[in-house]
Amino acid sequence: MMWKKKIVGFFCLSILSLGIFAFSYKPELHKSKPFPYKQMGFSKEEAAAYLLNRFTFGPTPGQVQTVANEGIENWFYQQLESNDPDTAVTNRFNSLHLDAVDLSLTDMVNTYPNNGVIVTMARKAGIIDKNDTGIAKQEYRQKLRAFMQQQGFKPMPDLERQLIVQKIVRAAYGNNQLQEVLTDFWFNHFNVSLTKPACAPYILAYERDAIRPHVLDNFDELLLATAQHPAMLAYLDNASSVSNNNPEEAKRLQKLAFNNNGALKKRAAAEGLNENYAREVMELHTMGVDGGYTQQDVTTLAKILTGWTIYPMFKNSPANEQIQKLSPEVMEKRGFVMQNGFLFRPNKHDDGPKTFLGKNFPANGGYQEGVVALEMLAHHPSTAKFICTALAKHFVSDTPSNNLIQQMANTFLHTNGNIKSVLITMVSSKEFWNKNNERAKIKSPFELAISSVRATNAQLTMPYQIFNWCNRMGQKFYYYQAPTGFPDRADYWINTGSLLSRMNFGLAFAAQRIPGIQVNLLALNNFHEPESAEAALETYSNILLPTRNNEQNIQRITPLLHQEHLTQKISAAQSKNNNEATNNEIVMQTQAMNTSSTPASLSRVVGIIIGSPEFQRK
Amino acid sequence: MNRRIFMRNGAMALFAAGIGGVPNFIAKAATAGNRIIQPFQKKKTLVCIFQRGAMDGLMAVSPYADPNLKLMRPTLYMSPAQTEGSMIDLDGYFALHPSLKSFYPLFQSKQLAIAHGVGSPNPTRSHFDAQDFMESGTPFNKGTDSGWLNRAVGLMGKPTTPFNAVSITSALPRSLYGNNQALAISNLNDFALQMRDNPLAVQSTASSFEALYDNNSSQLLQKTGKESFEAMKMLNVNNLKQYAPKPGVVYPNSALGNALRQIAVLIKMDVGLEVAFAESGGWDTHVNQGTDNGILARNLKDFSDSIAAFWEDISAQQDSVTLMTMTEFGRTVHQNGTGGTDHGRASCLFVLGNDVQGGKVYHQMKSLAKENLEDQRDLPVSTDFRSLFSSVANTHLDIHQNNILFPDWTGNGIPIMHNS
Repeated sequence: MMWKKKIVGFFCLSILSLGIFAFSYKPELHKSKPFPYKQMGFSKEEAAAYLLNRFTFGPTPGQVQTVANEGIENWFYQQLESNDPDTAVTNRFNSLHLDAVDLSLTDMVNTYPNNGVIVTMARKAGIIDKNDTGIAKQEYRQKLRAFMQQQGFKPMPDLERQLIVQKIVRAAYGNNQLQEVLTDFWFNHFNVSLTKPACAPYILAYERDAIRPHVLDNFDELLLATAQHPAMLAYLDNASSVSNNNPEEAKRLQKLAFNNNGALKKRAAAEGLNENYAREVMELHTMGVDGGYTQQDVTTLAKILTGWTIYPMFKNSPANEQIQKLSPEVMEKRGFVMQNGFLFRPNKHDDGPKTFLGKNFPANGGYQEGVVALEMLAHHPSTAKFICTALAKHFVSDTPSNNLIQQMANTFLHTNGNIKSVLITMVSSKEFWNKNNERAKIKSPFELAISSVRATNAQLTMPYQIFNWCNRMGQKFYYYQAPTGFPDRADYWINTGSLLSRMNFGLAFAAQRIPGIQVNLLALNNFHEPESAEAALETYSNILLPTRNNEQNIQRITPLLHQEHLTQKISAAQSKNNNEATNNEIVMQTQAMNTSSTPASLSRVVGIIIGSPEFQRK
Repeated sequence: MNRRIFMRNGAMALFAAGIGGVPNFIAKAATAGNRIIQPFQKKKTLVCIFQRGAMDGLMAVSPYADPNLKLMRPTLYMSPAQTEGSMIDLDGYFALHPSLKSFYPLFQSKQLAIAHGVGSPNPTRSHFDAQDFMESGTPFNKGTDSGWLNRAVGLMGKPTTPFNAVSITSALPRSLYGNNQALAISNLNDFALQMRDNPLAVQSTASSFEALYDNNSSQLLQKTGKESFEAMKMLNVNNLKQYAPKPGVVYPNSALGNALRQIAVLIKMDVGLEVAFAESGGWDTHVNQGTDNGILARNLKDFSDSIAAFWEDISAQQDSVTLMTMTEFGRTVHQNGTGGTDHGRASCLFVLGNDVQGGKVYHQMKSLAKENLEDQRDLPVSTDFRSLFSSVANTHLDIHQNNILFPDWTGNGIPIMHNS
């Protein structure tokens, strides 16, 4: 590892931050305390199904019964530990050749440089000529490809593919399901996007290093990790937010003026404050838009965070060469801070005195004042309420009760924002177990797709296909452009176009028309082939939707389904309809029924169940 | 409550065999016969095209008469005086790029107006940020969760059909994010149950889904399910073939041509389309952008041919349709060292419609003398994009709450539309 945690220039430690960093809250896990599901009218199995629907990407066959037998509290607390080694996931990563998932951030940046960098390097090396572009496209691309190979570079789309595939694999096959569900939740909360090229190369590392390890930690750790990650620094522009209001820079600018270096001086003057991150961190990540901060607070926070930028990791960059020349001792003395891809540049920090949310920050606060400001945000009562509302909306219902939010926020404030403790408070509350909340949440397209894979023990040999379908259903994950993340509510996901796509997903999935997805429907029923459409509907409804009351639906659609089994009707239609294509289709389908291990009618029944409204609910 | 009924000739085709339980809506509709019922109030349609990557407005609609341009663009400069592949003079000052020649008849018939020097007051030269700001309609606030076109749909009143706002893209664009129903679909043919099965099986599957959604206790799923099946029947994919382009109209075989062809289908089917959205890419011409031949020329040709084909295709519906283009910023006045142009500030955009006061280039640009340029390099923004967008929306869509359309903005429109 090239990076070692270095915190230098630490002389401005405030009492506040000392108190927080020295101590990380560990919740008492009261394993004996049962969740109040019985008194709220849930059977053990219903309670298990409810928990599995909310805290996993969907139950696997038989899992509801297993968890009900072993005790839902035991299962939940075990999930809070998230310590399963998950070798199944690692094995799949290997067989899918996901070789980027474990690269260090530096290696990643040096393996997947952006296209502009590659072109510039190739030009410098004389591999391509600047007039080459657009003229001989084929040849130009070949030259570039050869150059990339020689340099050990790989194309960005490969990294994006690996990012997407690893998420699908972890969600479908990982054992630490709660951790994955929370990774999905917190990533969306602290959204970054592949649509911004400057941010794209860092996103895999962002989710892996800044999000996943902290999803059950104290909130301040999560906030700081995201604030200092290159992905966020690039996405919300803090990397380019600088100030010349400090003696070192003033001296340099004077020297530039003296040497009459117009270009450099002009560049320095053009740089300035960027409020983007400072605004969003309060509005979207912590306090919420009505959390009680002013425009003055936004500007001040932006000043506090000036100089927080991305460490120049690309080995051929002038900035990297420049910084490598400096010895760690010199950098430490000058107040630089480096940590993974994060760099604090003291010469670009605003050294003036500041007042933020009513607290005075004396002059020369350096790096540490940013940490203190983020700590203030992490522990603010508005943040407690805002974060607990978001959690309750995700895990309970789109309209959680104030009472529940208040209980969770109290825990948040008393435990330094410990996420585990907040979740325990939520699941131990009567509000969580209100029967009205059962099945009240609608699955996102990703949740729908993954829950289908899990419910049928499907094998994904080409997981990227899941992404294509999620895109069609309205969730191009990792590509949401706005910092708000995907809206976490049913009416965002459910519209006429997307609902039809969900039905088509169910049909395509069960009929194995999606390449690289293998589903053995007969195996789910111990290789007993159902004798009729009713039997298939009943059996597979109960396998795919355990503990739901499927009776009424079965009754309702049995007569509709039954039609297709009457061969007379098919042949009647055949004789009536002389359309050649239709005849061929019927012939093909009859053949399929005879040869395939899964009868087409069974695929259709399962497709209908997956596309049905009940399966959209969790 | 009035139950909405959407019936078109042949809309029952999918269920024509009449096997199994006849769904309620068919029973009801059948009594109305084949009469076309239009329960929704006929509204206007605004078609928006986003040119992603930032179009070089100074080459598309060139202020050729400004002597500064030739000096700053020694190899990119073009003028109508040149004989071959020459530009088309518009008013003695501006000229159309030769690849935009299919725009010229529309300009002459005064249906096409050009607005120049348009852009965002936020000086960002980042594609991401500038697109974000232009689409949210709030150039200084990234946190805005809705897009301006979604707010426009909201201002037009309650959605009356599933096709009020449609984007012919795979994902919903930032412009249509928001609380009002909007549909993103890249191919209208996807708007059907997709099964490789015999018609009876498809039909029984469709009826099964319909029965299940109708029976679900979640109001949202029940309601949207109903709308989906209505939309599916309304759009009956089998009927799409009937909406072949008008004889003689040929769309370019490109993403934009294809998207506009589908928008024309929705307009002709009269499904209640109010806002339509399409995109066009490849405008980021940093290298060898060419003059009358090259990357930009090819893009401009596809762009104008697609729009002209669309306009001709909907000639019977032109009174109710206005089309507007947008692009996140313009490009540097100077050409760069690689025969291209870098990210700049203002660009130009096109507005096409019968309620447009066309045949004119609207602008408040000064000469391109260095002292007039922003940061001494870029065409400054002399018209806020919101001035233009609001003028089009105010007149064509008859919505006037600019404080909702563009919060934090108190500027005025420009007289580019009739009666505005």
